[in-house]
Amino acid sequence: MSALLELDRVSKSFSRGGLFSKQRVEAVKDVSFALEPDKPEIFTVIGESGSGKSTLARMILGIHAPSSGQVRLAGRDVATYERRAFMAEVQPIFQNPFEAFNPLKQLDRYLFMTAERFGDASGKGAAQAQADEALRQVGLSLAEIAGRFPHELSGGQLQRVAIARALVAKPRLIVADEPVSMVDASLRMSIVNLFGRLRDQLGLSIVYITHDLATAYYISDRLIIMQKGVVVEQGPARAVLSAPTHPYSRQLRDAVLTPDSAGAFRADHSPKAVATSGDMP
Amino acid sequence: MSEASDPAPVLEVRDLQAHFRTRYFGVNREVRAVDGVSFDVRRNEIYGLAGESSSGKTTLVKTIAGLLKPPLEMVGGSARFSFLPEWDAVGRAPPEVVRRIRWRHLSYIMQGSMNVLNPLRRIKHSFRDFAWRHLGGSKGEFDARAAAHLERVKLDPSVLSAYPHELSGGMRQRVTIALATICKPDFVIADEPTTALDVVVQKDVLAMIRNIQREMESSVLFITHDMGVHAALTDRLGIMYAGRLVEDGDTPDVFATPLHPYTRHLIASLPRIGDVKQREGLEGTPPNLAAPPPGCRFHPRCPLAMPVCATMVPAMVETLPRHRVACHAVNPGVAA
Repeated sequence: MSALLELDRVSKSFSRGGLFSKQRVEAVKDVSFALEPDKPEIFTVIGESGSGKSTLARMILGIHAPSSGQVRLAGRDVATYERRAFMAEVQPIFQNPFEAFNPLKQLDRYLFMTAERFGDASGKGAAQAQADEALRQVGLSLAEIAGRFPHELSGGQLQRVAIARALVAKPRLIVADEPVSMVDASLRMSIVNLFGRLRDQLGLSIVYITHDLATAYYISDRLIIMQKGVVVEQGPARAVLSAPTHPYSRQLRDAVLTPDSAGAFRADHSPKAVATSGDMP
Repeated sequence: MSEASDPAPVLEVRDLQAHFRTRYFGVNREVRAVDGVSFDVRRNEIYGLAGESSSGKTTLVKTIAGLLKPPLEMVGGSARFSFLPEWDAVGRAPPEVVRRIRWRHLSYIMQGSMNVLNPLRRIKHSFRDFAWRHLGGSKGEFDARAAAHLERVKLDPSVLSAYPHELSGGMRQRVTIALATICKPDFVIADEPTTALDVVVQKDVLAMIRNIQREMESSVLFITHDMGVHAALTDRLGIMYAGRLVEDGDTPDVFATPLHPYTRHLIASLPRIGDVKQREGLEGTPPNLAAPPPGCRFHPRCPLAMPVCATMVPAMVETLPRHRVACHAVNPGVAA
């Protein structure tokens, strides 16, 4: 049986600059990994700005074609899929739910449209039933959402609606690009826990793209750490983050500030000058 | 820092209120973004303000800095700086007075460095625009001074001749820190200065803010929603919820013994590397500040809510030494 998702030596380069100063920028270099078909998991891609993690997400979603290598879904090159058939299998969730939804459009219409286009709903009643079922899976209901506009909901609720919209299509894979970084702290863990439930109860696999090592440790099964387009470390999430071996992974981990890093820069705990870790380019 | 080193506060905020007032098609709407906030910031300390988006953190510091523009208005209370004792708020002082103290005594580091730096002007021109008239001297003397100050934030003097787009995000944010501190102000307001930065760069920038603050013995009001940053950097910590301050105290005390249920949740819900404990989000959503719930604004989401919480606003009480909290469950029967 072929893998649910397989990246086979995928690279992507962009050209930048004008006629006389054209440069090639390699955003993603030679990345390979595979998600097993019958083992749902949360696969995390960790990286900072410029690491190529969003470019990687866009290649998995078929928005960008790789410059070399192949992205395969269930053994077939993503580029050969008919777009609608592909979107029925793979659904995206984006960082900022306020940007993902049109402010002038009622939210339930997104759910109905997805149900009619990618689900198997024929007719209004079926679409409503599917929308309601998906909303209940994220802890909302159609009665709460019907007729509401994006500005009437909080960021956390709106991100739940975005997840429900993805679920309506009954996909096998969700690609979530920084899905909690715009969500308020008090609601963030409900969204992260929701991803865990989707994996455990619905058997969905999720590619979770983030710069937040703590939630990656908390929820993911396996991860890769990217730096400037290259995978520098990969493996089981908790093992890698507990004992990172690559210098960059270690640097990232040491820079994470938690309530336990009390007084790292406070006057009464630290030496006179606080050490800084090298200079930026 | 201990209170013995300098007892007089540099900033005294008392019952500060700032509302958004709009009137569209004859419908008046009032959003109470900041509603009765009181706290002190002393010399030589970093006071941190934590809270979620739309909890009123940014409105609060804008009010303190006198940067309000309609529809936002300061409605009541005071925010008095020790270097401007004759006015009870910067926003109430006449413009010529504000011009004199701004940047010299009170400066502001913003989240996006590009909001501060003019993309069409070299860094040295930005420095001259902001600080030359306060520091004086010839053009050459001033540039030398700017170059020397840039070295404090570990930037090469050649940065002065660069345009903002030639610098990385971390370097630009260091330039804005250098800009905000070159006049050695008594008070610096930093509004999410590291939120847009990568964690590795953030660590350096925070260390830099701490070093410069210590060198100048100035006060910093530091806003971020990131509790990890507060734990690492701030001396005092205030927690805002829905336009009100619900708790404040020495940062280690707030983390060791959080008193308000909201603070407890904020600290307990943070996942940590090396800890697999289940973390929960908080039920419900932050209130709409145009129609906030009566009594304690946290009560609809509070696990400890009692009948009194829905009717009486809890007062800020110094429950532990230098540690205040506004909660009926902690201080029974104390209303504001």
